[in-house]
Amino acid sequence: MTRFIFPAPQIRNIRCGFALAVVLTVASGRAWPQSARSDLRGIWMAENNADANLERAQVIVDPPDGKIPYRPEAAAQQKHNFANRATVDPEKRCFQPGVPRAAYLRSPFQIFQNDRAVYIVYQDAHSYRIVYLNGSPHNEGLGYAMGDSRGHWDGNTLVADVSSFSDATWLDAAGDYHSDELHVVERYTRMNPETLMYEATIEDPKVFTQPWKIRMPLRLRKGIQILEDECEEGENGRRHHVTLFKEAR
Amino acid sequence: MRESEMGCADEKHTMRFLLLLVSIAAFGQSAKFEPPRQADGHPDLQGVWRNASIVAAFNVEGQKAYYNEPGGSSVIVDPPDGKLPYLAAARQQANDNHLHGERDPTGHCHMHGVPRSLVPPFPTEIVEDSNYVVLLSETEHSVRIIPLDGRPHLKNYHAWAGDSRGRWDGDTLVVDVTGFNGRTWLDQSGNFVDENEHVVERFTMMAPDTIVYEARVEDPTVYSRPWTLRVSLRREPKGTELIEYDCIEGERDEIHFPGAANQKH
Repeated sequence: MTRFIFPAPQIRNIRCGFALAVVLTVASGRAWPQSARSDLRGIWMAENNADANLERAQVIVDPPDGKIPYRPEAAAQQKHNFANRATVDPEKRCFQPGVPRAAYLRSPFQIFQNDRAVYIVYQDAHSYRIVYLNGSPHNEGLGYAMGDSRGHWDGNTLVADVSSFSDATWLDAAGDYHSDELHVVERYTRMNPETLMYEATIEDPKVFTQPWKIRMPLRLRKGIQILEDECEEGENGRRHHVTLFKEAR
Repeated sequence: MRESEMGCADEKHTMRFLLLLVSIAAFGQSAKFEPPRQADGHPDLQGVWRNASIVAAFNVEGQKAYYNEPGGSSVIVDPPDGKLPYLAAARQQANDNHLHGERDPTGHCHMHGVPRSLVPPFPTEIVEDSNYVVLLSETEHSVRIIPLDGRPHLKNYHAWAGDSRGRWDGDTLVVDVTGFNGRTWLDQSGNFVDENEHVVERFTMMAPDTIVYEARVEDPTVYSRPWTLRVSLRREPKGTELIEYDCIEGERDEIHFPGAANQKH
């Protein structure tokens, strides 16, 4: 009998919690109407270490073991990349960051949108992508660092299909890489005003044995602006990034 | 009698003149172009635009045709002689630059800067909402994000594309740009600015497919007075898409400019 009786303090907590949840739901509903959920505009940035190492950052949700499903020969190439990452990482040599890496660099990006497209402007290497929404097909075989992006809305989620890549970018700073057969399907969902859920399914039959998927929240950054990140050639003839401020008001 | 007749005739003339004025004003009103508008009432400048004229890319002061370069007149509308009002030492520098095309920063994959990014015949997409106007250039995939909220300029910022702040003056977008790094050129002839450059740009849609772009450039350490250039941007055909611009990514500009790898520019 007694097992059905909740201790009094817990009941109070549940009631308080419920009341709080109702208040929060009503308040956030007012501040953030349904119509705003497909409005992805804002300055966003990852808060994890995915750019340093995707596997260690635990953002790989499929396969369930959280490992990148390399083909055996590709795993060897990745090890080679890792050993030489300080000098070989294309992002550090001022190549554009590539996709999906641009989304989780430790530098912000800003989304703009209109009826024609969603425009993603990255601070890193002043790179940008235009995700066309008119149902047009991919331009094939372009060999773009940032790929060719065609998008559509799945409810309030922007789905971007990206292909036509070069093999000149990496997936993180740990030597994880892809070939020119990379195909990425990204999903951008604004979970609440401050959170953009980013999901990318990565497919590349030359390098991976199966498609795999990453997922992570990106946070809204207020009070900053995207700054100019240009590359300069140093004394050694190698290029390096110059972001004018780390952050500015 | 005569005087009153004269007076009467004067009044008639005055009336006719007034009517004429009114009708001119009315005609002017009806002929005035009405731009497409955003929900907030401001002109909608969105689209892909390009300066259809080529000569200013080679020389903003205009030039005679030679080799494979076209000839044409100056795009400098002030001063009226179409010449950049250089200080003497700066004119010498420009002449010297002219002999050293390998110094052109765009040849080293750097951004065109302002106003140069809108002068050559390369496409720029304008994206606009109530809070921002964004200029996406195809060349060097350079981007200018222009906030419209009246925030002040960044301090101690020295960028290729500067720091832009926009506002609407009637139907004209006015953009104030400071914070330059002083390394950009104005054209392929070596005309240049330094880090004291301050630009006020004016974008006015004059017809469905035409934006008149004006840039007033002030730079007291290079020029004896402010000057203004004006070009017409034409709308690219519907469906035009910008393509990815590779420069650092594999292109070795040293091939185009032998011996330029170690040039300071």
